[in-house]
Amino acid sequence: MSLAIRGMGWITPLGANIADVWSKLLEGKEATAETISSPISPRTYQAFRIAESVAAHPRLRRSSAISHFAVAAGLAALKDAGFDSQRDAARTALIFATSNGGVIYTKRFYHDIVASGAQSASPLLFPETVFNAPASHLSAILGITGASYTVVGDGAIGLLALKMAEDLMQNEALEFCLVVGAEEADWLLCDAYRKWRLLRKTPPVEPFLTSPKGMILSEGGGAIVIGRGGTIEIEKVAAGGNYPRQKDAAEILGRVFAELGANRADIIVASANGTFIDLAERDALLRIFPGALVYTMKPALGESVGASAIWQVIVAAQALLTHQVPPVLHSRVESPLQTPSATMTNDSMRTAVVSACGLNQQVAGLRLTLGAEAKQPAAKTVSAATMGRF
Amino acid sequence: MPQANTSNPPQKRTRVAVVAAGIVSPLGFGLIETAESLRNARDCVTPVTRFSVESCRCKTAGQIADDRLLNCSTGRMQRPERLHRASRMMICALQEMLAQAMAFEPELTVVGTTSGGMTFGEEYYRTLHGRQKTRGTPSWIANYPPQKPVIDAQEALGLSAPCQVIANACASGTNAIGHAFECVRSGRYRRVLTGGYDALSELVFVGFDSLQAATPEKCRPFDSGRTGLVLGEGAAVLALENFDLAQARGAPILAEITGYGISTDNHHLTQPNPSGIGPRQAMERALESAQLAPEAIDYINAHGTATPFNDTVEGKAIAELFDHVPISSTKGMMGHSLGAAGAVEAAISILALQHQFLPPNIHFRSGDPELGLNIVANAARPAKIRTVLSNSFGFGGTNASVIIQSAAA
Repeated sequence: MSLAIRGMGWITPLGANIADVWSKLLEGKEATAETISSPISPRTYQAFRIAESVAAHPRLRRSSAISHFAVAAGLAALKDAGFDSQRDAARTALIFATSNGGVIYTKRFYHDIVASGAQSASPLLFPETVFNAPASHLSAILGITGASYTVVGDGAIGLLALKMAEDLMQNEALEFCLVVGAEEADWLLCDAYRKWRLLRKTPPVEPFLTSPKGMILSEGGGAIVIGRGGTIEIEKVAAGGNYPRQKDAAEILGRVFAELGANRADIIVASANGTFIDLAERDALLRIFPGALVYTMKPALGESVGASAIWQVIVAAQALLTHQVPPVLHSRVESPLQTPSATMTNDSMRTAVVSACGLNQQVAGLRLTLGAEAKQPAAKTVSAATMGRF
Repeated sequence: MPQANTSNPPQKRTRVAVVAAGIVSPLGFGLIETAESLRNARDCVTPVTRFSVESCRCKTAGQIADDRLLNCSTGRMQRPERLHRASRMMICALQEMLAQAMAFEPELTVVGTTSGGMTFGEEYYRTLHGRQKTRGTPSWIANYPPQKPVIDAQEALGLSAPCQVIANACASGTNAIGHAFECVRSGRYRRVLTGGYDALSELVFVGFDSLQAATPEKCRPFDSGRTGLVLGEGAAVLALENFDLAQARGAPILAEITGYGISTDNHHLTQPNPSGIGPRQAMERALESAQLAPEAIDYINAHGTATPFNDTVEGKAIAELFDHVPISSTKGMMGHSLGAAGAVEAAISILALQHQFLPPNIHFRSGDPELGLNIVANAARPAKIRTVLSNSFGFGGTNASVIIQSAAA
């Protein structure tokens, strides 16, 4: 039996549940940026952040925001999947994906060392700086005592985690694999990405420009429960490879698209975020599948790095389930790609390809298919007026 | 409720060979130097020189000499001056491995780490805090991410496999080897590169010091008077291949991996459940995965950090499962290399199998009478061993064990 998505959870700056975030994306809304500053520098940045606490549990009382995002997204996905902790925890594996981890506590911990010396280092903060702290909290809350893995990488890590889930599910003793991606935004990350010439200081994020202007950092969590059989089937995960230089990314992406049969996909959910990634994806798509319908959520939700590929998979699954694609915001006419400028509906949409090109050399892809048992949504037709830009 | 073995049970019995290995650690550069250090019970822990430890309780660590590291070839890597020490360690280890298995082209790479290029992040923050010019910072930022050392090493040596980088704290290396083993055993992959790496960093050093887990004295695993760990650094890699394919092409087979167990102990973020259930489940699951009885284990390379908590809990679990099997922790000689530890200790276990000796547990004075463990005290011992179990446990309650057997076993 093929693997399928059995449940999803989505914590974003635009909302904290699937239905809410999806309807806002369809309405063309975008997150509101917040200015973040630092006592060690006059520079300020804007990021899409989550203002309210999204998870409450005694285990989380000293934990960083990333753990809250991971737990909230994970619990929502499991609820969506009908998970029963008593019944299912022993047959469930957990994979947690992140890029920068608990950077807020890590910065605070190291700041004390730099500012006041090693004797000031907090033994309470240090354990929360390890990459697997969020997974540990989530395992404890769920009662998972078997396989729990934290994997680290760039914006492609969510798909590499799904590849790992596919490998783990070869074990027939496992019924489910919960894959969670999370990231927290911080001034330090903004400063670093800015120095790396990948961040713009204020929104909007303008995708697929010939001269990319940069991304806006975001935070939150996304979670997917993988099971055996279901409405949204994971047809293939391509673990891709690593590009040595930015200019080589398009070539690896092209290989991933070819492996996934992207030219037979009804929609490509891209990772374009206003950086060189946009050019790589554009070049690869124009070479492999010039007529592709392409969507990126990053103008609306920002770049959530370790969470972003899981968010893309959620978008792809939602598109297949609802037969709708939200508008790509702030997309200028100069893009040769076919991107919807308003919400579009396509009842025949059955396959989606997710493209994940990270900022730090990793590339992966995934192909989803709407299973035969999926209900047809209310009939609507594709409007050429919504199809946008050539 | 009975727990399913979420380590992959042997439904499909594809055998998994280790066809090559490479290692860099305070014990030496390469397998030969490492074996020599183990046989001679060398204490490779030295005063920390990389950063100030004036305000720390602990002042020592196992460190890799920079002069040798900088002299290692960096292969095809452009602008090698930007490489992090962890990248250089991985390049050295991978170079040694590929010298034994030149045709080895992995379909997947699975490695463990806890902090990757952490010291570049530290330099960046110190520069910001000191309001100094940040001219060099883009290179630090680009080379800071935890996955960078393995990607650099692959690029330097002409490999391009997708990389899964596991960050399960101190169990990362063993988890990586275990997952890589399962990937080959399931038949989904023919060749997987695996291992682990970590370089010493101030943040992590001070972190363990702040928890009072690091000792100002000698690191004495399983000693009744143990006072804590010392940190280390290193990198080790193993080339895993479908056994039959390796044999068919006449590849030398260093060892066979036959079992893997993983468990999660939800007791506390930094402390193991005092009952020892976490380590015990990991070891039981590894035995089940290998279809072996505890009596089949000839030697245990323990996690053995020398913290009072870890060694009590691990020792209790070992004493409950095994009957007087020889045990040692090699961390007294080289420190705890965190994400690299499981990979380094797997390489040490392979050396023990190849050269038929038990690596020593140095600085040992007297054992815990309640545990009654059979510690390989202070000196290496010749022994007839066919099957080794290697343990790694980490923050977050993550526990992992692998079973490695001599190819002829």
